[in-house]
Amino acid sequence: MAMIDLDKMLVKVKSTQWALSDIDWDAPGADLITEEQWPKLKEFMTDLMWIEHVGARAFAAMAKKAPTDTLREIYTYFHAEEQRHANVEMALMKRWGMLDGDELPEPNINLRLIIEWLDRHSDEVPVYVLGTVVPMLEIALDGALCKFLLDTVDDPVCHQAFEKINDDESRHLGVGFSVMEMQGHGATYIKTVEMAAQIANPRVILGIASYFPLLNKMRDNVVAMGLSEEKLYACMEKFEKIGGRTKEGRSNPWFQIIKFHSRWMVDRSNKFYHVPVDALVKATSYIPRKLLPAVPSWVRELTYEPTA
Amino acid sequence: MTNAPPSRKPKTAAKKTPAKSVKKHKPATVLIVGAGFAGLGTAIRLQQAGIKDMVILERAGEVGGTWRDNNYPGAACDIPSNLYSYSFDQNPDWSRSFSGSGEILGYIKAMVKRFGLEKYIRFNQNVSDLAFDEEPGLWHATTDSGEIFSGRAAVMAQGPLSNASFPDISGIEKYQGHKVHSAAWDHDYDFRGKKVGVIGTGASAIQIIPELVKDASKLTVFQRTPAWVVPRPDFDTPDWQKTLFRKVPASQSALRKGLYLAHESMALAVIWNSPMTRLAERLGRWHLKRQVKDRWLRRQLTPDYRIGCKRILVSNDYYPALQQSNCKLITWPISRMSENGILTAEGIEHQFDCIVFATGFDVGHSGTPFPVRGTGGRKLDEDWKRGAQAYKSINVAGYPNLFLTFGPNSGPGHNSALVYMESQIDYIVKGVKTILDKNLKALSVRGGAQDEYNSRIQKRLAKTNWNSGCKSWYLTEDGVNATMYPGFATQYARQMASLELKDYELIPA
Ligand SMILES: Cc1cc2nc3c(=O)[nH]c(=O)nc-3n(C[C@H](O)[C@H](O)[C@H](O)COP(=O)(O)OP(=O)(O)OC[C@H]3O[C@@H](n4cnc5c(N)ncnc54)[C@H](O)[C@@H]3O)c2cc1C
Ligand SMILES: [Fe+2]
Ligand SMILES: [Fe+2]
Repeated sequence: MAMIDLDKMLVKVKSTQWALSDIDWDAPGADLITEEQWPKLKEFMTDLMWIEHVGARAFAAMAKKAPTDTLREIYTYFHAEEQRHANVEMALMKRWGMLDGDELPEPNINLRLIIEWLDRHSDEVPVYVLGTVVPMLEIALDGALCKFLLDTVDDPVCHQAFEKINDDESRHLGVGFSVMEMQGHGATYIKTVEMAAQIANPRVILGIASYFPLLNKMRDNVVAMGLSEEKLYACMEKFEKIGGRTKEGRSNPWFQIIKFHSRWMVDRSNKFYHVPVDALVKATSYIPRKLLPAVPSWVRELTYEPTA
Repeated sequence: MTNAPPSRKPKTAAKKTPAKSVKKHKPATVLIVGAGFAGLGTAIRLQQAGIKDMVILERAGEVGGTWRDNNYPGAACDIPSNLYSYSFDQNPDWSRSFSGSGEILGYIKAMVKRFGLEKYIRFNQNVSDLAFDEEPGLWHATTDSGEIFSGRAAVMAQGPLSNASFPDISGIEKYQGHKVHSAAWDHDYDFRGKKVGVIGTGASAIQIIPELVKDASKLTVFQRTPAWVVPRPDFDTPDWQKTLFRKVPASQSALRKGLYLAHESMALAVIWNSPMTRLAERLGRWHLKRQVKDRWLRRQLTPDYRIGCKRILVSNDYYPALQQSNCKLITWPISRMSENGILTAEGIEHQFDCIVFATGFDVGHSGTPFPVRGTGGRKLDEDWKRGAQAYKSINVAGYPNLFLTFGPNSGPGHNSALVYMESQIDYIVKGVKTILDKNLKALSVRGGAQDEYNSRIQKRLAKTNWNSGCKSWYLTEDGVNATMYPGFATQYARQMASLELKDYELIPA
């Protein structure tokens, strides 16, 4: 993938918008979900939906900090598109009878912490930090999870929906990796050090403290559903492969940071990483929800209704 | 994809088919296009200077321009009425500090009566061509009715914001529900109990929304970019003040002077990036924080450009209206329109009984609203292809005896448009008197003088907030600012105070 022309990408994004009403939510096939699948699928879909929503909020933060007007507009669309994915996934849950009336499904505690972090800090974090973490999350979670879902679920409506979602995602990744390269391009030693130094930014540290356990937690969840750990890791390795393909990409210090992290993550024998992080996952599960502040209002924007 | 319908003239506009035989009228001294504030103000001052042989061509059936067309609920000026009125015709009876559209229209109509302007106005005459005939030194205006009106001098006062524009949204023509533009309000439509969408969050929208929210069952507001909004010191005029103004007119002039100076000082915040700019931004943020408690909504409403880069809005009830339980702000990009409503990028179709377009006006940065032809067959829109240019905003080389109101780089960002207009009008009177006194066929500004003036203006503009990076209707596609005047109204008035004959070529009749 060479660096893409962002202006052309914006035109493409604008011309490929789709809506929930493009899908026939009452088409036959809902009964293809087996009884055995149902409870785990419900949990899985809930996570997936929240990951999309969290991704949405991250793009909103990136739009605010985007270095050019074009990129700002692209991120504004991506923000909306991730919201659309979440809406679609909620509509699928509705179709499969997984929603409690109009209630939003509860996010797991690690997602809840990420939501909190995004709401408080993401707007203040430099764009290259999110610009590297987001593609990683997209490729690992979105990518692996969606693929897994399609391997497991036979409902044709689900396949139809994810075909559209995956088209969007391929553009997100295209832009994501291009921007990582842009940011590594011609980086002087000083700039590189400055970028890397963000790792000591308290906001970023807090973010990391929420992000690491989320990944481990998700790993546990998918494994519980029957996705092989290897598949998840294969996706994460893709990040390293695509991101490190060019010299520019490799000279982005945040690519290096995320790359090393994903290596630890994948290496189950790395006790220095997994023991404390798994302990964190466990610890977070004890956080009483009552202690968390009320969910920010952007969370309530989700809907499964194609029309308003 | 461009599916927007062509910009619409107000519905009062005459729609006559060109007649077969051309009716030529006897040439007048001055030909004025447009019976809004500018055209009428020019007529008054010409009349006071003893020039009474003039014709005003107006495409609608009524005077008033902006204030005839913009009578949507909540329409009002956002410069205090005591300043948004003519100094030569002050009104002691303004009912509020910021008067509503109807009251301003009433003021304009009263002015027409008081100065006996009716006799000059030809209604339902939409000018479609304006051309200079060098031999006799006459401007000819051709109208849709097939008539030709002529004058030794011509004044273009057709208004900077008089042609309503619709947004470039794909599928806009597919929408089957009711459509209303803010500048052509449908007073027969009953909004009560309706699901209504409003596109736009500019000056008109923030006046309409607080009114519509009272009637609509559900109001959905589509915002592309949030604007800076500051509090509006609006109040009813106490009776003692009206009495005082009537008995001691000097007191009203004093208030006007005070308001003028207060607005002049705002130039420091609006035009240039100064500590005052920071202060104004702080005021805007304070206003937002005080009125909007939800952090996400506040984030959605926080502008991301420097204050002053676009028009600053004033309102006390816009933010509260957005937070009514029947109102919702949508910031997702619009992807297209359908039969039933508006689809946004988060995948939802928002369905409406009625959509209100508060999407502003076509502002020709380089074009002209109708062909204007000068000496040697030159065309103004061609001369202006790379951005409109004029000498002191009022004359253009190659177009003798033609005067522009609201010409290139005459726009105020911080003060009443009428303050600038008075300077222009008095300049026009000087110009016309020069033509008459010296019996000229042509009073033609020199190209060199115009170039020199413009290079100075553009140099000054480069340092302003308008050119600081936001996209606004002040700028052309290439980012050239051909709209705003980079300075104080006082500076503008000083520049317009004298007509330098050395900058003109004078051709005797
Ligand atoms: C909603 C709104 C609020 C505003 N508030 C303020 C404010 O608070 N303060 C401020 O300073 N400015 C404000 N303005 C700017 C306002 O436009 C000017 O202040 C002023 O009213 C312009 O007067 P005008 O005579 O130049 O133009 P207009 O009032 O537009 O009058 C032009 C006239 O020319 C006629 N015309 C146009 N084309 C033709 C043609 N081809 N042939 C014949 N006739 C034609 C039109 O029908 C119209 O009657 C506002 C504008 C709008 C739209
Ligand atoms: Fe997604
Ligand atoms: Fe994505």
